[in-house]
Amino acid sequence: MSERTDASRPRGIDPRGPRFAAGITAVLLLIDVFLGLTGLSTASTPQGWAISSASVAERFLDPAFLVLLAASLLFLWGVVSPRTAPLGALFRKAVAPRLAAPTELEDPRPPRFAQGVGLFVAALGLVLQLLGVPWALTIAAAAAFVAAFLNAVFGLCLGCQLYLLLQRAGIVGRTRPAAA
Amino acid sequence: MNLVGALIALAALLAATVAFGVFLNWRQSQARRDIDHEVVEPHRLGADGLGEVATLLQFSTELCARCPGVHRTLAAIADDHPGVRHLDVDLTHRPDIAKHFRVLQTPTTLVLDRNGVVQTRFGGAPGRDVLELELNRLIAEDANV
Repeated sequence: MSERTDASRPRGIDPRGPRFAAGITAVLLLIDVFLGLTGLSTASTPQGWAISSASVAERFLDPAFLVLLAASLLFLWGVVSPRTAPLGALFRKAVAPRLAAPTELEDPRPPRFAQGVGLFVAALGLVLQLLGVPWALTIAAAAAFVAAFLNAVFGLCLGCQLYLLLQRAGIVGRTRPAAA
Repeated sequence: MNLVGALIALAALLAATVAFGVFLNWRQSQARRDIDHEVVEPHRLGADGLGEVATLLQFSTELCARCPGVHRTLAAIADDHPGVRHLDVDLTHRPDIAKHFRVLQTPTTLVLDRNGVVQTRFGGAPGRDVLELELNRLIAEDANV
């Protein structure tokens, strides 16, 4: 015997779609970590961190910044309009027709929430880079990479699992008092 | 950082991520029994009762990717065992329940015995075989009483 306490759920999506998108995002982020390690973000000069003396335009035009900006825009797209997001569309057009039909459908809200977490982390790295903080962009890209990689390879969604933790910390969600 | 150093750092990052993923997967299949064996009152969770032999109490949220899969597994197990009941409680709007049971991640599954006492706790998505093992232990204990 089985039952659940809620009823309405939005239409399901193929669970392999978000994992495919997470795989490509992970590759993009790994490239970005490499660019960060070899670029302005972590470079040091005898006078100190190179980024501290760079202009805002130089910080912006750093390749690692531009790649993370592209990843952030993909995250943003996934949050604002998951159905039209490019990687999801690529999966439906090019990959899904070659695979067997999905055996089960997934709620679209967790992957969308995960995109929001990715956007938050990536945006933090971008802002700190513009402010001239060394290593910030590289560390943010590495953190986002870990989450995307775990999602793509192991099917783990850290943001979703820790949703309650974030909610309790008052970072996300509404805390409607329950009538118990 | 030079090219070689950067590539070594990338390899280390990749290896650490894989190790972390393997660890998380392993920990999710571990049953925890060193927990507070409290008695669960079904009415506080919005349910009308518990299973006669055992109850699989699942905690989910709306934003939980693995909860529907665990829901299906637990529902199938409950269907196969008479007297075993599966309850799925959505904690999205019930932080009070989450706090009471100290649920920090979803899915979390508690296995209750026939008296509603929490016997085992699973954090994450447990495999069907480990759940069956726990359940069979409870059913055997029930038969001995």
